Amino acid sequence: MRRLLALWEKEVLALSRDILGLAVLFLMPAAFIVVMSLALSDVFKGGAARQTEFAVMAADPKLADRLVRALSGDGFRAAPAPADEAAARDGVRRGTPSLVLVVPRDFERALGAPLDGKSTPPGLTLLADPGLPPTQLLAFRQRVLGVALGLRVAATMRRAGIASNADAFDLKRAVTLSVETIGGTARPSSVQQNVPAWLIFGMFFVVIPISSLFVVERREGTLARLVSQQVPFTLLLLGKLGPYFAVNLTQAVLMLLAGRTLVPWFGGETLALPARWDLLAAVTACTSFAAIGWGLFVAVCSRTLEQATVIGGVGNILAAAVGGIMVPRFVMPEGMQKLSEASPMAWALDGFHAVILRDGGASDIAAPCVKLLALAAALLAAALWVHHRRRVLTSAQ
Amino acid sequence: MGTLNLEGVSFRYPGPGETVLDKVTLVIPAGGIFGLLGPNGAGKTTLISILAGQLRGATGSVSAGDEPLEVLRRRRPHSLGLVPQDYAFYPMLTCAENLRFFGAMQGLGGARLKERVAAAARFARIESALARRADRLSGGLKRRLNLAIGLLIEPEILLLDEPTVGVDPQSRAFLLESIRSLAGAGRTILYTSHYLEEVEAICDHVAIIDHGRVLVSGALSELIREGSGLQDLFMQLTHRSLRD
Repeated sequence: MRRLLALWEKEVLALSRDILGLAVLFLMPAAFIVVMSLALSDVFKGGAARQTEFAVMAADPKLADRLVRALSGDGFRAAPAPADEAAARDGVRRGTPSLVLVVPRDFERALGAPLDGKSTPPGLTLLADPGLPPTQLLAFRQRVLGVALGLRVAATMRRAGIASNADAFDLKRAVTLSVETIGGTARPSSVQQNVPAWLIFGMFFVVIPISSLFVVERREGTLARLVSQQVPFTLLLLGKLGPYFAVNLTQAVLMLLAGRTLVPWFGGETLALPARWDLLAAVTACTSFAAIGWGLFVAVCSRTLEQATVIGGVGNILAAAVGGIMVPRFVMPEGMQKLSEASPMAWALDGFHAVILRDGGASDIAAPCVKLLALAAALLAAALWVHHRRRVLTSAQ
Repeated sequence: MGTLNLEGVSFRYPGPGETVLDKVTLVIPAGGIFGLLGPNGAGKTTLISILAGQLRGATGSVSAGDEPLEVLRRRRPHSLGLVPQDYAFYPMLTCAENLRFFGAMQGLGGARLKERVAAAARFARIESALARRADRLSGGLKRRLNLAIGLLIEPEILLLDEPTVGVDPQSRAFLLESIRSLAGAGRTILYTSHYLEEVEAICDHVAIIDHGRVLVSGALSELIREGSGLQDLFMQLTHRSLRD
C-alpha cells in the first residue's frame, strides 16, 4: 500500500507541474462546452429559435398580405417584398431574405378551376438561399403547400355556393397540437448535449499525460530502476489508475459546474442537473476506466513522446468525430449513425444522456457501462500483453 | 554476503541478433570494487541489468555466496542496489521528492525514510539542492542524485553503471572518493566505466569483456604488473577498430 501511495503521489506531483497537461484536461473541455453550447444552441432549439426571413411577391396586395400572415410565425418572419423578381433573386443570393415566394398573376382564380386531371395546377415559385438548412426549407415548403390547399378548398367551396373564408382553413387554426417530451423534466438543449459530450472528450484526453510520463519514465530509465527494485509492472499501472480516476472525477464536477454557471454567464442555457447522482457517478466512473485503459495502452505501445501524442490525440479526435461529440449523432446520415455505435465516446454519451436527458434508471445505463468496462479490461489486458511482448522495460543493451 | 559468482551466463535479446553475453564466468570477491570494462556494445550494461533483475531469460547461474542471487533478491530486496547509467529519476520532481519516492518504493517509510533520505543526501552532498527540481540541476548534481537514490537502502551489493559520465573533474573526484568510501564499509561494488584511469584508481579487481565474452579477469595489480598500464592491456585485448 505504501508503494501504491508513493506512486499516486508521484503522478499527482508530476501532473501538477505539467501546465500544458492541466490545460488540456481542464481548460480545453470547459472552453469547448461554452463555445459549442452557444454555437449550437439554435440547432437544439429547433426551427422556433431560428428566425428565417421570407417575402411574398404577388400582384394582388390583398393576397400577398394574406399569404404573409398565414406563413409567418414558428421561426419564419416576413420581410418587405422585393421590387421585382430580379431584385428578389439578388436578395436571396445574398441571404436577405432567405426565401421569396413568387405568386403568378391570377393565381387565386386559377386555384378555383376544378382539378379534372386534364389541367395543370397553378404554379408557385420559391426562391431559396442555398445556405438555408434543408429542414427549414422543407418546413417552409410544407407550410406554403398547406396555405395553398386552404386557398383551394375555400375557392372550391365558394364555387359550390358555400360561403367560406380562406383563413378558416389555416393549418395553424385547424387543431391545437401540443408536443409532450417523454422522459426528463426538461427537453434536450444545446448545453445538455455539449456538457457531457465535451466532458467525455476531456476525460479521454488523460491519454496524453499518462502516456507522456510513461514514455519519459522509460526513456530516463526510471522504469528500469523501479523494476530492479522489484516493483511489479501491474503495480506501476495501478499507480496511474488512482490519480487519473481522481482527475476524471474532478473534470466531471468542474464541467457540470461550467454548464451550470459558465454557459449561462455567456448567455447560454443553464444545465439541468439529473435527479440520480449515483447513476451519473457510475457512468462517469465507467467512462474514466475506459479512458485510463486507453491511456495505459497508448503509453505501453508508444516508444516516443511524438508517437504518444499523435496516437492518443488523433485517436481521441477520430473517436469524438465518429461518436457524436463534435457533431450530434441525430444530424448524421444513417450509415454514420451506425458507425458511431463503434465509438467508446458514443457509449459514454449514451450513458450520460440516459441520466441527464432522459432521467433513466440503472437498466438504461447498464449497456453503455458494461461496454465501457469491457473496453477498459480489454485495453488493460492488451497493455500487459504488449509490455510482455515488447519487453518495454528491458530494451537497454 | 560472500562472493558474487557468475557461471556460464549467456543472454540474447528476443528476435534475430547475436548473443550479447556468451558464457560469462566471473568471480567478484566480497568487499572491494570490481571494475567491469569493455568497449561500447561489449555487454556491460546487459550484464548489470541481469544482475539487477531487469532482464530475464539469461542462462547460466549467478549466486551470492551459497545462495542464487534471484533468491537473495526476493528474500532480502535491500541487499542489492543499482545506480544506472541514465539519470533514472523524475525530472519534474525535486531532489527530495525523488529520494522520498524511490525510498518508499523500496519499502522505507516514516522516520526511517526521513533518516535515509537525509543520510543519502548528506553522503552525495546534495542537501542544498533538495528543494530544487531535478531537471534544473547541473550534470554533477544529477549524477550525485542518481547515486544517492541508489544508496537509500544501504545495499550490500552495489551496481554502478558508468556513474561519472558527463561530469566535471571536481564532481568526478568527489564521486570516486565517495565510491571508494562505500567499498571501505565492506560493500561489494561492481563498477563499469570507459574511463580507465578511474578504474585504475579505485578498483581492486577488473574484468575486460568484448562481444559478450570475458577476455581477462583478475586482480588489477596482477593484470598490469607486466604491461605498461590498463590502457595498453585494454587496447591490446579489444583492438583499435571503432564499435559504434
